[in-house]
Amino acid sequence: MQLAMEELDGGVTKVILDGRMDIAGAESVDLKMNVVAGSKKFVLLDMQKVSFIGSMGLRSLFSVARTIKSRGGKIVLFGPDELVEKVLKTSGLDALVPIHHEFQTAIAALQ
Amino acid sequence: MTLDRVNTNGGEGLTLRSQMSELARICPWIEYLAKRDAISEETQFAINLCLEEALSNIMRHGYAEAPNCEIEVRYSMPQTGVFLFIIEDEAPSFNPVTALEPPIPVSLEDSTTGGQGIRLLKHFADTLKYEATPTGNRLSISFLSAAGMKR
Repeated sequence: MQLAMEELDGGVTKVILDGRMDIAGAESVDLKMNVVAGSKKFVLLDMQKVSFIGSMGLRSLFSVARTIKSRGGKIVLFGPDELVEKVLKTSGLDALVPIHHEFQTAIAALQ
Repeated sequence: MTLDRVNTNGGEGLTLRSQMSELARICPWIEYLAKRDAISEETQFAINLCLEEALSNIMRHGYAEAPNCEIEVRYSMPQTGVFLFIIEDEAPSFNPVTALEPPIPVSLEDSTTGGQGIRLLKHFADTLKYEATPTGNRLSISFLSAAGMKR
């Protein structure tokens, strides 16, 4: 799994995940995710290219969201595909971290 | 694709060592089966998810991360449109079918506990059946093709 970052206007950081967020994938981006959680305050997590997510991937997302929130920040999940979104909803993460499929509404949720 | 021969009651399968790196063998195997047996993308996703959760639980908890134990995964199509995976291990008895799921977290602060693996397994499998064996556990997970699936 790959992780890339892009700074957007308004202090928003777009974090782009690409690949399978299985056990190996989640471990491969764990350090970078922790850095994001500890240093960025308004995060749009772009999941359009995430093809799979399991419980370790969920754990990583919960952890990042928890840290960002504890620092007074906000995070949204952007564009997960239908199957990935089913996993997010099964876990209950969608009730705690908003999921958006329109870019502008995702950005607005971070303001 | 080379498959391990599993000399049991038919079907085909893999024998995995109890190391997380072995999980990397699952996805390409499922891709191969999907092409050959016309398994839909959605069902393929569910299979990958359930196998990863079940197998990682066995490795992490059942075998307590001991690296040289074995887990057998057998596959068969008992009838058209039904994809059956049977996982057998020699770990202490554990029945994921009756295992309690922790409650869904109501806040991010509550989300420190695990347990999502069992929840995902139960939600994404079409049927789950557990049997204790003389030496360990047998978990049968089946997935239905698009017609009649519950997902």
